[in-house]
Amino acid sequence: MSDIALAGGQDAKRFSASVATADSWRPPDARRVLQLSLAVIWLLDAVLQYQSFMFTKGFAQMLAGTASGNPGVIASPINWDANLVQHHAVLLNTIFATIQLLLALGIAWRPTVRVALAASIVWALGVWWFGEGLGEVLNSAASPVNGAPGAVIIYALLAVLLWPSDRHVATAPFAAARAVGASAAQALWLVLWGSLAYFALMPGNRAPQALNSMIAGMASGEPGWLAGLDNHAASLLAHQGLAASVVLAVALALIAVGVYLPRPAARAAVVLAIVVAAVIWVFGEAFGTILAGGATDPNSGLLLILLAVTYWPTRTLTTAPAAARRAGAEEVRA
Amino acid sequence: MMTPSWILDTLAGVMLLVAAISAGRLMAARPWAGSTGDADIDIAHLLMGIAMAGMLVVSLTTLPNGLWDAIFAVLTSWFGWRVYRESRGQGARVLADGHHMPHLVHSAAMLYMFVALNATAAGSGGGMSGMGGSSGMAMQTLSAPVVAFIFILWLAAYVVLDLDRLSGPGHGRGSYFARPALAGVTAGTGAVSLAASAMPAGTSAGAAAGQDQAADGSHPAGRGLLATGGRSASARALLLSPRAAAGCRITMGVTMAFMLVIMI
Repeated sequence: MSDIALAGGQDAKRFSASVATADSWRPPDARRVLQLSLAVIWLLDAVLQYQSFMFTKGFAQMLAGTASGNPGVIASPINWDANLVQHHAVLLNTIFATIQLLLALGIAWRPTVRVALAASIVWALGVWWFGEGLGEVLNSAASPVNGAPGAVIIYALLAVLLWPSDRHVATAPFAAARAVGASAAQALWLVLWGSLAYFALMPGNRAPQALNSMIAGMASGEPGWLAGLDNHAASLLAHQGLAASVVLAVALALIAVGVYLPRPAARAAVVLAIVVAAVIWVFGEAFGTILAGGATDPNSGLLLILLAVTYWPTRTLTTAPAAARRAGAEEVRA
Repeated sequence: MMTPSWILDTLAGVMLLVAAISAGRLMAARPWAGSTGDADIDIAHLLMGIAMAGMLVVSLTTLPNGLWDAIFAVLTSWFGWRVYRESRGQGARVLADGHHMPHLVHSAAMLYMFVALNATAAGSGGGMSGMGGSSGMAMQTLSAPVVAFIFILWLAAYVVLDLDRLSGPGHGRGSYFARPALAGVTAGTGAVSLAASAMPAGTSAGAAAGQDQAADGSHPAGRGLLATGGRSASARALLLSPRAAAGCRITMGVTMAFMLVIMI
């Protein structure tokens, strides 16, 4: 015992001093919190992918269904993939679920955040094509209420916007601009929300009973309270498809241009975006039908909410670039 | 529709491993010798590991469901009380930073699973089975799936928070991962005791860091002591490290979220 004490005496003093001066854990900055939120959603996706249904041929049929209405060049690879999944359902679905689990854990583990975010972009683009049929944007069936332009493409967008780089930190008016710059981030926002406004006005979505049938169709298999909400919302929109679509399109267009407005108006636009996304998630998507079982992801509503939060205009980044740079440097070091 | 049994069997094995590690931590920390550390957390992990293994694979069922209900009700109450005490010092921060908050959520999720499954089984007139691993029995479904969904999100949030903390600067320091469980580890027993003794008395952060760094040999003192103290000391230090506890918690959180999802 004394040998140990003697041998360790000086080391122990150095150890004590090093611990006393070392950086202690500090709460993550805003962008890291958003990255962790993205990791939570990827983890949710992973466990959803492990559901019993995904190991059956029903999953392959679900994939094949996304080919419908798409051009041949898009549809053929989807059908090939669906056929492959049908014949190797257990193996391939285990791989799919595990990849998503690794993406979640990789984003949460600081040394691997870049690798995981980069991999998530590749994976999301693949799933957007092979699993979502490009979000039905090419077959006129896309609607902001049912998940257009495809939930998984928003994962890729978030990975780009939350990339741990601070090239534009000094001028970034919101977290999403730190890596790609304010102009690029604003353009991406405009394209996304502008396209949603466009989809809302497509003929199939502005038909008198379009929204009614879309929302009423979500009630099946849901818990009673959620089915009741859906049915009630559907009855309110009965034969009001055109008016509801116009109102929705106007709201989405306001959101799209909102990021170019002065800070108070931009904040109002982000709040409106969160409200609209929440309404879509609850009424149009029934929480991604997770509560009914068989969902592969929480659908676009939750992702749109997270995306909107990344665009929340802050004063911190513009008035305290040095602090932001320090936070960014620490993140990169970690 | 059933989840492949080999997945359930694998997860049950992992849960038994978590239970074994938790038992090992209890043995190494010797709470009966007066330690004021995390015996409650290790006991909770031990019980959860055994219970979850039994839920995943019927042949591993150990206790009647009613008894598990009671056990997890007690654990939930216990951690609720610990969180309440923490919140008097930290306020709402206890939700993210509290040492006991994740364990309250884990215990409550286990209680919910047993209660909800019992309710479903009672409603259908049958007894509760496992999820089908090695049994071929039908998968159970939970009542109140929205509660399950909230638990899933909560569990996932703690998993990513734990990983972020483990991989961030200053990991293991502070009271989040570990309280000093060193009262039962006397001087001269190896790396943990000396690393801890290097800290000012009552410095829990330092003690936790000492445990962690000594355990993984990342600190010179820890390395030297590991060499001196021998294999058993290093194994003990590894078992008692905050990383081991956090690893158990992360594994358990992912598995619990998986179980909740497939029972919706």
